Amino acid sequence: MDLELNDIQQELASTLNKYLRSEYDIAKREEILRSDEGISREKWQAFAEMGLLGLAIPESYGGADMTFNEVAVVAEAFGRSLVLEPFLATAVLGANAVLLGGSEEQKQAILPGVAEGQTFLALATLEPGLRYAVDAPQTQASGADGSFTLTGEKNNVLGGDVADHFVVTATQNGELGLYLVAADAEGLTRVAQRQADGLGSANLKLEGVAAQRLDAADANAVLSEVLDLGNAAIMAEAVGALEASLTMTAEYLKTREQFGAPIGANQALQHRAADLYAELEYARSMALYSRLAVTSEVPGAEKDRHRDVIAAKIIVDRAARNISQESIQMHGGIGMTMEYPIGHYAKRLTVMTRTFDDSDSLTAELAELGGLIEPHAADLS
Amino acid sequence: MDTLLNAEEREFAQQMRQFYRTEIPEELRLKVATGQELSKEDMVTSQRILNEHGYAVPNWPVEWGGQDWTPVQRHIWLEEMQLACVPQPLPFNVSMVGPVIATFGSQEIKERFLPATANIDIWWSQGFSEPNAGSDLASLKTTAVRQGDKYIVNGQKTWTTLGQYGDWIFNLVRTDPDVKKQAGISFLLIDMKTPGVTVRPIQLIDGGHEVNEIFFDNVEVPVENLVGEENKGWTYAKFLLGNERTGIARIGGSKVNLARAKAYAAVTKTARGTLLDDPLFSARLTKIEAELTALEMTQLRILSTQAAGSDKPDPRSSVLKLKGSQLQEDISELLVDVLGPQGLDFVSDRVQGQGLSDLPNGAVDALPGYFNTRKVTIYGGSSEVQRGIISKALLGL
Repeated sequence: MDLELNDIQQELASTLNKYLRSEYDIAKREEILRSDEGISREKWQAFAEMGLLGLAIPESYGGADMTFNEVAVVAEAFGRSLVLEPFLATAVLGANAVLLGGSEEQKQAILPGVAEGQTFLALATLEPGLRYAVDAPQTQASGADGSFTLTGEKNNVLGGDVADHFVVTATQNGELGLYLVAADAEGLTRVAQRQADGLGSANLKLEGVAAQRLDAADANAVLSEVLDLGNAAIMAEAVGALEASLTMTAEYLKTREQFGAPIGANQALQHRAADLYAELEYARSMALYSRLAVTSEVPGAEKDRHRDVIAAKIIVDRAARNISQESIQMHGGIGMTMEYPIGHYAKRLTVMTRTFDDSDSLTAELAELGGLIEPHAADLS
Repeated sequence: MDTLLNAEEREFAQQMRQFYRTEIPEELRLKVATGQELSKEDMVTSQRILNEHGYAVPNWPVEWGGQDWTPVQRHIWLEEMQLACVPQPLPFNVSMVGPVIATFGSQEIKERFLPATANIDIWWSQGFSEPNAGSDLASLKTTAVRQGDKYIVNGQKTWTTLGQYGDWIFNLVRTDPDVKKQAGISFLLIDMKTPGVTVRPIQLIDGGHEVNEIFFDNVEVPVENLVGEENKGWTYAKFLLGNERTGIARIGGSKVNLARAKAYAAVTKTARGTLLDDPLFSARLTKIEAELTALEMTQLRILSTQAAGSDKPDPRSSVLKLKGSQLQEDISELLVDVLGPQGLDFVSDRVQGQGLSDLPNGAVDALPGYFNTRKVTIYGGSSEVQRGIISKALLGL
């Protein structure tokens, strides 16, 4: 049994963390956050040059032909530094939708641009009034033979503010499909939004917009896998943000003095900090669990993949909630300010736990799937 | 989690699974599976079968019956044992006094005690806690005063689990009252049949007799019963308590109990279907399932670090104890709540007779089990002690 990062992954993590510490510190991030676009295209180019954007894309489409394991290393480092650029939207959600669902021609058209940092993608699944449900969108597709049009509305499209192409869910005759839409297509209205955590998103109105269908594979299966990968990536990112939050909070407990002593000398705070440490370890464990689930090559493993990912997310979400809330509380008033970084972590974590689903519905879904343990009692036949 | 194991580890797991299910009598495993109390004879039978096959004391040095296993193999040995509901070897023998004697004892004391300890020919009791030395163990007051070739022991030990069966007791005693409290403690073995040793039962809130008080009144103990050096007992005790933490999360046992609560809930009717379909019950159970998986992954991560060669003190071991014990309590509470009102009586049999219907499965052990399980967040370093260890590592204050 070996759960450690391999040498290449360790090297990737260490190089990237070092880069981010110097080139993406709080002050530089603040500058990006206050810019018009809210992202740095220059940083995005740097990420592309470091090979981060095409890690899991096959070489034939300009990628590095590695696995989601390396993607998770990047996501964790980005979480630690609260990177604002749309890595999740483009390199995880968009790229995997095209990779898993697209034809050879579509993959050739889109993926090299992603790896080179020339193309932003976004996945549009959510709709007004449907909350987190994605399997039966109201957006309608019509047409046939490679020529389709879409009509409907999408909201909370992560990275949608800057996307060059959208992957949009729609139904035709009740059947789910994934469609590729160019951002400059006629009939597409995009209203850019800024999430509470500073990341960009968009709401879309589609009125007879021209689209290509991604139909190399069953759309339900592709969407389910893409969202599982998205959840696993967001958990890795959460671990980075949680670790940074707890480190910062521990440092504050050690250095902030009241009544002539560090506030961390109080057992009430020590024990709560210990509970947060345990939560962080649980989050690491379950982020790993989800990563193992989405990368498993054991035959038949895909049937448990979604179940394992949501089980992991329930635990990571709880850790995110507890650590982000307690971090602010333990910092006191300073934790409420935009000037001090802890609140920024809390904001990112708060959004992350609600991006693809919320904990209550995940719990209900896991129960519906039968949970993780087979019922068994030796005294029941 | 079998898929995380390599081919040899998987084969080893299969071998242990097969062994436990074929060699340990079904009747004993059913008792564990359904929360029935084990007799002394049950525990001795199980440990002797394990010992005969080299599976009672794998954590000991090979020359004394141990196995040259990896940390992962040891984990599999214990996990599969719990999943197969095998009565575990007596911890006082195999994870406490045995390793202390094997590590710090003289050759003579090893030969005298280790084979009998592995085979449970000696049933050991633990004489550590005292009425005024609980979490602050080093403040213990039981004295051993040297007189020629004997120690004269006076004092009181408490919380001695299964001391009613004990043949011998390993004690922490104060041999030097004039130094820093940790520096005056020795590790002394006492035959419980010696005149002046009295065992008094303590009744617990679960209705059972699991723990005892032990009184020492001018008990004469030969000096050759000292383990290691005089006044070095605290070092040996810390070593022992470190070993105690291994496996204390009881993940296999929690899986068995959770599967049991789930199976009972599936056949328990409510006004809206079965209890397993009740939204709030099912949410609670599902969160516990996810949490148990997180605990197991944490255990595996620690093992993976150990397998990679690290033996640094790891505050994550305290996370295992803190979280694992809380989960055991949560699961014991689920079992109570499955039963509803029919779980509230202390009964010895679910068959009522006299034309009355049988009580539901679990009615005998659920509530006593719930009260008994309160101990797990107290023993082996209470939750508060574990939080103290973690915060020390985190804050250094």
